[in-house]
Amino acid sequence: MIPALEDFFDRILGRGDAAITVPTFDGALKPNQILERAEVVGEFAEPDDLACVGGALYVADGSVLRRCEGHSSPEVRRFDRPISAVCGLPGGRLAVALAGNEIRVFSAAAGTDAGRAISGGGMHAVNALAAGPDGRLLATDGSATESSQDWARDLLNRGRSGRLFSIDPDSGQITVRASGLHHAFGVAAAGQEVVVSESWRHRLVNVGAHGGLQAVLDHLPVYPSRIVPASGGGFWLTAFTARTQLVEFVLRESAYRKRMMKEVPPEFWVVPRLRSGSSFQEPMQGAHLKTMGVVKPWAPPRSYGLVIRLAADFSPMFSFHSRVDGENHGVVAVAELDGALYVLAKGPRRLLRLTLPEAQKALAT
Amino acid sequence: MTDNVVEFRKATKLYAGVPAIQDVDFELRRGEIHAIVGENGAGKSTLTKAMSGVVTLSSGSMFVNGLEASPKTPLEARHLGIAMVFQENSLVPTMTVAQNLFLGQEKFYNRLRGIYIAAQQFLQSLNFDVTPTMTVGLLGAAKKQMVEIARAVLHQAQVIIFDEPTASLTPEEKNYFFDLVRSLKQRGVSIVFISHALEEALLLADRITVLRDGKHVVTDDASKFDRARIVQAMVGRDLSNTLYGKRKTDVRPAGERVLTVQNLKMAPMVKNNSLSIFAGQITGVFGLVGAGRTETFKIVAGVLKRDFFHGGEILLRGKPVRYRVPAPAVRAGIAYVTEDRKVEGFFETMSIARNIYLGILAKFPRGRFFLSGRESRKAGDDWISRLKVRAIGTKAKVVELSGGNQQKVVIAKSLAQEPDIIIFDEPTRGVDVGAIVEIHELINRLADEGKAVVVISSYLPEVLALSDRILVSRQGKVVEEFSALEATEEKIMYAAIH
Repeated sequence: MIPALEDFFDRILGRGDAAITVPTFDGALKPNQILERAEVVGEFAEPDDLACVGGALYVADGSVLRRCEGHSSPEVRRFDRPISAVCGLPGGRLAVALAGNEIRVFSAAAGTDAGRAISGGGMHAVNALAAGPDGRLLATDGSATESSQDWARDLLNRGRSGRLFSIDPDSGQITVRASGLHHAFGVAAAGQEVVVSESWRHRLVNVGAHGGLQAVLDHLPVYPSRIVPASGGGFWLTAFTARTQLVEFVLRESAYRKRMMKEVPPEFWVVPRLRSGSSFQEPMQGAHLKTMGVVKPWAPPRSYGLVIRLAADFSPMFSFHSRVDGENHGVVAVAELDGALYVLAKGPRRLLRLTLPEAQKALAT
Repeated sequence: MTDNVVEFRKATKLYAGVPAIQDVDFELRRGEIHAIVGENGAGKSTLTKAMSGVVTLSSGSMFVNGLEASPKTPLEARHLGIAMVFQENSLVPTMTVAQNLFLGQEKFYNRLRGIYIAAQQFLQSLNFDVTPTMTVGLLGAAKKQMVEIARAVLHQAQVIIFDEPTASLTPEEKNYFFDLVRSLKQRGVSIVFISHALEEALLLADRITVLRDGKHVVTDDASKFDRARIVQAMVGRDLSNTLYGKRKTDVRPAGERVLTVQNLKMAPMVKNNSLSIFAGQITGVFGLVGAGRTETFKIVAGVLKRDFFHGGEILLRGKPVRYRVPAPAVRAGIAYVTEDRKVEGFFETMSIARNIYLGILAKFPRGRFFLSGRESRKAGDDWISRLKVRAIGTKAKVVELSGGNQQKVVIAKSLAQEPDIIIFDEPTRGVDVGAIVEIHELINRLADEGKAVVVISSYLPEVLALSDRILVSRQGKVVEEFSALEATEEKIMYAAIH
């Protein structure tokens, strides 16, 4: 009874869980423009994910898988549906998720299938894949109702139907390891444990053997997405956009959200986006967005670019940003190869390259 | 007619036998801007107070327009054409601008409308953008300053004395003020200008007089001075490299995130302010006056309250806190060292020891029934020696101390509470250079000991010299963060203004 009353009064007074507050970008998340200044390696039509196998970098570009070779990117294999996720597996194999509901494993070098096509098991919007600790394949499914492309609708519906699948690539057996996740988007094995990004709850959770969740990093000012291991221990975490008070407020107003989804074209919904600034009709949060004709880097973001380096215990160490006045927004994937970090900015559809020692030197000054 | 408007010869003023100024010779020429600089306790205020009739000289002579004069009251000085604009302005906050202008010149029958029209015409003639019907309490610091100046000009002053006129002004307001002073000079008014900001003296003054320990050290053309020469003359030693001369080459790494402020609101000053404070670091907070810096940290320390509805969150080591009064914040380890020490910092007629003891008592949840004189004296002795407070003893009243030493007492009062988070609001405002160095050393020592230190300052060189990370506040919220290694005055000002 008392917690219910507390919730009621918190909602009226805007306190506790009803406090529409957003953590600030500081400490290890202190903004910089390193991502904005990164070298552009290539531009693609519909890039979505990156993977490294056998010293080569692969880009999922719509329904085509490409291998990056300097500034050229020849086609490796073409599929009949768009690739929603890709990852490298031991033995020079690649796993790709097609349209979020089918997974195929094949040899990266030959481009021929190395296993059966896996589908069913309730897969609907698979958006990230990773090699599991026991030779199995891990896959996150963002939503049981919305497609991967329609993530904004899932956010506005306060979706909590995300799942973590554990898949045997040989037999095609699919096991649900965790369900009820608030948009699972990104998975990585940390030793024998599995960590998942829960985007709408702005946190990373450790998924226990029986599906129990334990937050390892929370209160993020961003929506976290894919996680990949970093050389030297720890992880790289991408964040496809940043939280704002305006969106947090809209998420509390059910009637408004429903009416907005019904009456307003999706491109003008009050939701974060992977890119922004293309139309004056875009909703924006007031205060300092544009002063004296210049978009301020500290304005509340509609789109943002961020990669966070995490230590082995998932505490943030440093981060690379593309701020509000930048373009390299909507970062959904990273891959570390030969001392360089490749970053996929889905907003401008660019593949970026950062030389890590130089980037870290730029951070220090 | 002599070229000097005011002249002192061997001026001496004794307070209880102790000389505040001794055998000082001073000349103020017609139509010049004359800066008087010196450490706290150097005798600047006493000299100007003697000029404006607030105090009378114990010996020596004063001449106004070549004639010996000895004004015994400010009114007598005003009749001689000498007006003083005090640091804490002397306007009546509940009265309008026009009423303040004509205060003391009331006639038997006063027609308010007539006063407003006269005030409007007069302010326009000075090109002052102040509404005469506005209540003074609602004006900003710069506008109040304008009213003070206008009043002095209205009284046909030929000498206007400014005591720390720019202390509460923003950089833009300062520039405006400098233009005002120059326009007064063009009207033939002589200006005496007291400031601790030596750059201002160098920029504005025609001549500079340096006083030290109540004695005249040097008077020369401003063009013949540089900062180092003034400082050396003021303190008798070269401090230029120890104060703001050096840039930071390394910064302390951030420790634990001890304080997080998320979307804090207190209309109209604090608007969605978010920031974090880390242990073992000095976080400098810069912003123009009205940027909501002080208010934000006063809310953190429980001095002010955030908005009742949707006021945001303050997390102390990850846990939400809401302090309605300062005492629980003090017990939680948050100390706020006020920017306005005379009003909020201490009880000026109480002794140093008692003031520090009051700080200790604030830590007890329900106060203390029995107070210990011995404990109080011990705390006083301890902190006087630790902070090198220059006083005759623990029983000395705070009002008898110089500005720098008063500030040290305020700091001691807060540090006696053994806080983990120490918020210094304008820690060196109105403090002499010697004390500034000591206060800066203390702030650095606290950060080295692992305390989370916040320094709010309007003085950019101070922020750059002290901070490991710099937060820039604008219109009620932090808009930008810089590492001390990357920050420059230009970058900070750009973020603070645009």
